[in-house]
Amino acid sequence: MPQIFPKALNPIAKMLILAAPLLAGGAGVTGAAFYRSSYATGVGEIRPQPVAFSHAHHVGQLGIHCVYCHTSVEKSGFANIPPTKTCMNCHQQIWQGADVLEPVRNSYKEDKPIEWLRVHNLPHYAYFNHSIHVAKGVGCVSCHGRLDQMNLTMQNSTLLMEWCISCHRAPEKHLRPKTEVFNMQYDPKKPAKWTAEDFGVSGTLAGKPHPALSDPAVYDAEKKEFKDRPTSQKELGLFLKDKYNVRDAVTLTNCSMCHR
Amino acid sequence: MKLDSTDTTANEPTAAPTMWRGLDELAPSPAAQAAALDEFPEGAAEFSDEPSRRRFLALMGASVALATGAGCNLRPASQRKIVPYTTQPDEMVPGVPLYFATATSFGGYGQGVLVRSNEGRPTKIEGNPDHPSSLGGAGLHALASVLDLYDPDRSRGVTRRGNAVGYDEALAALRAKLYTGSTTNTGVKVRILSETTTSPTLGAQFTRLLTAFPDSRWIQYEPISGANARAGSAKAFGTPLRAVYDFLKADVVLSLDSDFLCSGPGHVRYSRDFADRRKIRQNGKDAAAIGAGARLPEGVQADQVNRFYAVECMPTNTGAVADHRLPLLTAHIELFARELARELGVKDAPAGSLPPDAADAKAWLKPLAADLSAAARKGKTVVVVGDHAPASLHAVAFAINAHLDNIGKTVRFIASPEVTVKDKMSDLKTLTDELTAKSVDVLLIIGDANPVYTAPADIDFAGTLAAFAKEKFTLHLGQRQDETGVLCEWHVNESHYLESWGDIRGHDGTAAIQQPLIAPLHHGKSAIELLAAILPSAGDIDTKLGARVPAASRDPLDIVRATWQNTDEVRKTFPNFAKPDAFDTFWQESVRSGVVAGTTPPAPPTAPSPTLAAGWATGDAFAVPGAGKYELNIRACPSLHDGRFANNGWLQELPKPLTKIAWDNAAFLSPKTADELQVSDTYYNWNKGAGEHGRAEVGVIEIDVGGKKIKAPVWILPGHADGAITVHLGHGRDGGRVGRVATSPDELNVDGKPARGFNAYPVRTSTAPWVTKATVTKTNGSYILACTQGHWAMAEKDPVSGKLLDRKPVRKGSLAEYNANKSFAKIPPMAAGETAGINENIPRPKGSPEEHPHDERLHPLNMYQPAEVLVPDLKEAQRRRWGMAIDLSACTGCSACLIACQSENNIPTVGKTQVTKGREMHWIRIDRYYESTTPDMKGAKDAGAIKTYFQPLMCVQCENAPCEIVCPVGATVHSADGLNDMTYNRCVGTRYCSNNCPYKVRRFNFLTFKGNDWDTDTLKLGRNPDVSVRSRGVMEKCTFCVQRIRGAEIVAEREQRPIRDGEILTACQSACPSTAIVFGDLNDADSAVSRWKNEPANYGLLAELNTRPRLTHLATIRNPNPAMPK
Repeated sequence: MPQIFPKALNPIAKMLILAAPLLAGGAGVTGAAFYRSSYATGVGEIRPQPVAFSHAHHVGQLGIHCVYCHTSVEKSGFANIPPTKTCMNCHQQIWQGADVLEPVRNSYKEDKPIEWLRVHNLPHYAYFNHSIHVAKGVGCVSCHGRLDQMNLTMQNSTLLMEWCISCHRAPEKHLRPKTEVFNMQYDPKKPAKWTAEDFGVSGTLAGKPHPALSDPAVYDAEKKEFKDRPTSQKELGLFLKDKYNVRDAVTLTNCSMCHR
Repeated sequence: MKLDSTDTTANEPTAAPTMWRGLDELAPSPAAQAAALDEFPEGAAEFSDEPSRRRFLALMGASVALATGAGCNLRPASQRKIVPYTTQPDEMVPGVPLYFATATSFGGYGQGVLVRSNEGRPTKIEGNPDHPSSLGGAGLHALASVLDLYDPDRSRGVTRRGNAVGYDEALAALRAKLYTGSTTNTGVKVRILSETTTSPTLGAQFTRLLTAFPDSRWIQYEPISGANARAGSAKAFGTPLRAVYDFLKADVVLSLDSDFLCSGPGHVRYSRDFADRRKIRQNGKDAAAIGAGARLPEGVQADQVNRFYAVECMPTNTGAVADHRLPLLTAHIELFARELARELGVKDAPAGSLPPDAADAKAWLKPLAADLSAAARKGKTVVVVGDHAPASLHAVAFAINAHLDNIGKTVRFIASPEVTVKDKMSDLKTLTDELTAKSVDVLLIIGDANPVYTAPADIDFAGTLAAFAKEKFTLHLGQRQDETGVLCEWHVNESHYLESWGDIRGHDGTAAIQQPLIAPLHHGKSAIELLAAILPSAGDIDTKLGARVPAASRDPLDIVRATWQNTDEVRKTFPNFAKPDAFDTFWQESVRSGVVAGTTPPAPPTAPSPTLAAGWATGDAFAVPGAGKYELNIRACPSLHDGRFANNGWLQELPKPLTKIAWDNAAFLSPKTADELQVSDTYYNWNKGAGEHGRAEVGVIEIDVGGKKIKAPVWILPGHADGAITVHLGHGRDGGRVGRVATSPDELNVDGKPARGFNAYPVRTSTAPWVTKATVTKTNGSYILACTQGHWAMAEKDPVSGKLLDRKPVRKGSLAEYNANKSFAKIPPMAAGETAGINENIPRPKGSPEEHPHDERLHPLNMYQPAEVLVPDLKEAQRRRWGMAIDLSACTGCSACLIACQSENNIPTVGKTQVTKGREMHWIRIDRYYESTTPDMKGAKDAGAIKTYFQPLMCVQCENAPCEIVCPVGATVHSADGLNDMTYNRCVGTRYCSNNCPYKVRRFNFLTFKGNDWDTDTLKLGRNPDVSVRSRGVMEKCTFCVQRIRGAEIVAEREQRPIRDGEILTACQSACPSTAIVFGDLNDADSAVSRWKNEPANYGLLAELNTRPRLTHLATIRNPNPAMPK
């Protein structure tokens, strides 16, 4: 049988064999880097939406509260994308003729919903619930970034499992007082006092004295005033983790927390 | 202590129980043994196409290529849309399901249900705790009805002779027959054929229609009906009444061929009440509480356990849980009842005696009569008769109940809730004659009656209708274009009950309002809407058409509301009823709760009890008509009923509650009868095809009833009465557009037709609808049946001796045994000497006396010591240990849990061929065990001595889970609250876990199965959005409904409170008609599950393997009468 390859290629073949692990390693590293790249995760990407809605304008400039539109964020897993009616509450009065709002008016007139492109896509096998995160003191900004500065909405976090789990392993790094959850400019280092709402149990007080008032850690009974909040995130986070009954890392990283 | 040792069998009790799972165990062959050891039948893991290896490689290549292709689309989700409302409904919080009360209709009777609605899509049926026919439980058919809503094969429009037309055209054509210009054609002969109905609105509409068109008639036809019971009550009391039983107060129950626990309108309620008297609880009800009719505390003291005698021909689930079961030919059952009546001293008891060869039955009479008539039992017994039994037997049973002083106590009578119209009813025979003579102008067929398929064989309804429809006006209103629908000129697609307004009465007469949860998917119309559109309406004046012609179609809500606004029934109970505001309140409350207040008939002593009429005892006992050696019993299929559920994949694939056959029916007969017919080699053949382990190759017989013949595969059923054969209706549908589930081009039935099972209607005549004599011959054919009984057997080989070990998993005993040693069930059959050690390893509730120190541990348990940092650090209220208990004394094996689980957890159906390969996906299996005098064929042939036990089993969530340690990718690991989590997206499908699971409760998704098909739009709507839809190549199993647990946790954490006991109901628990399942937190010493687990009868299945199961069972405890013959 004649030779297929000339003998001169032997050194190249040897080099290829020697280089194989390197190539494989390189491919792995490239793959991992690509997997985390903003192209693959979609971070920072602006998607063409039917209406050029600006959070920067509505939240940053006008100061509309998140819950005005995302009504179910405290009650449901789904934060809710506002129905057209919510837009029209204001836009019946202001900017009635603006071209940019044409799709909104059409939607309202024809009773056809606006079809937004999803910005935050979780895989179908991962379960996420907004309400419990908000209830435990995770701020909107922690995942969604500074929406008050985003003209067009984009994804701020990778939504990779490693990103989810980094917080579930150490929730104290991200907890904030309940009154600051929707605050876009919140800075833990800024001195502030506790408030009763930080420890409120909605709807269950029913005439009883507020539990925060009997807590010496937050309320000075002699001076009859609330104490200062700690200004280091570590101290504050651990304190809130205890107060808000945030479960420990072992429990929070149970598979069935998110996968079922 | 050697926990795993198997060498302690010497300590086994000498009177070894003779338990077996199926006949192929008794005809042992190497094949049967091998099959029992194999988790999957041969070929389960392979593609069956030949040559399988090559095909496998080809497919592998293809899937690699596909995976690469799919991988190129790195961001498949980036184009996903999010579509909000334009105006969001007020009551709706997106992402939070709402529950609405309504009622399912079955055989004309309603069962109250709560329906979960996820963003407007009904996704799950639960029982309605407020409805007396449900009390929170739900039956098989109610649970599966949600799948019918999304059935892609439902009729999607109005047709005329097969061509699509508009609803208005159909209506105009129908009105043209009824009205000429502005006048009513009073002479028009309308015939309406409907099912039984209890709907006050529909009933009132029929009455008005019949008044307006005096020459019209209404025919109610239903193949499975309570007509005999009604006739029986008319014979006994002079007027037709409906008996309602109170099993909560019954100390002794005698069932004469009645399956009251698993079929019939009230079976869920009866099952609940009956089971409550079977559950032994240390702090259960005592005699006083039972007498007072209290429902709580649940269960009874050991001395208050009821006793249940069952006399039946074909074994039913009801008979299977009896303390004493007498297999008796249907021909003899009434004779037995008559002799019993005389033995009891019933006045005027009619003559009729059992033949001398019925010695077993004769031996029952004296001790049974003594037990029933004991002085302390006066008014505390029930004799209940199957709906299909002859009227004369019903009359005898009513007389016995009267004699035992039960009437007005455990048996009360109400006026029949069914709507009947005096002098305006005729039967199917008369109708067929009229249609043949073409003396009728208009025929309306309404609902699922489907007489072309279900009419008795001696009535040629199909031919008659076909000929009639060519000349006259016929209109069919139905959910599918079934056999009847395709023959009618017009077909209007009917809306599902979840799409329409209506009202319906339950088994005890309580009315419920049916409310729609979704707009009709295919713009269907309900019967109420159709009738409203053709009724002359005096009030509404249509200016164009004139006064007497119906006005434009009205909102069905208004029609139903109007019925209740004008009804006298509730005026009495609802104050100021007539005032508009008061009515609104009444209406809102009735719709919300699912029960119309004030419609439950008053219980005695308020309501007078009927007295026996003079002629109740007249007439001879029922004699089985026809000629032939064998008695052929014809019954409703436990899953498909009369055939209306033939296109429901869940019900088709459900292993039938007792026989465990899926996708088929069979001719059931006893081993002795099989010997006679020389088909008993069947169970040797079984082994060839792996028997009950999937593919059962069975013989085929031909049944000849007066010249009409059907072929049927044989299924040998221990416990069946000798000399009789039972067939189930509802199968073998291939006519009309039944649907893609009911028809099976790849899987031909015994007649070679593409249908599921054989059709038994051809041998059912109007004179002998339930039982007839038949000639039976063996044919040379054979047929493959899919039986799941042998699947997932908990068998293993002894590593030393190589012998097959039978761990005798189900534990049971008599009340006497229980009283002698309350903890008898705790003794593991294979390791009796280590009882104490083994029981220490079963998770116990907090604070229980035998609590073991390891109970406090919450960290993931496995072979390896957990790292320090992995030990959870939780506050007391957050430390939960989920556990479950199943009380086998209460379980009837009805399989409602299985359908509930399938509905909740998006479990696919796989099809018959796949079931034969052991690939069915049900997360729950209900093992059936037989006990006989001797563990061989001789014992199996002693039908009277066969005892049946059920043991439902799903993942027991071992604390020491064997599956976890073998998973190479960590896809199954423990959660802090003790769940054995299964992460589908991490699973790579090695199936090691399943191999290592001693309980065999894991299911591998071999293919992306049809029932879970990802393309059919309507099926997508019905899925539970909180549970991942799994794809192929993934292992899955029971999760204790983790989505419900986590959901409740989130709500409780948000509200800063602990989870309340009973806040989380797993799907199986909530459905269970007999409340045999309880779930909760073992760390809560007061929880129901802790109470159950503290019962002495609680045992850990296979706990001797040191698995520490969180799911434990409470042993079956039966209460046999020592005076009865063995």
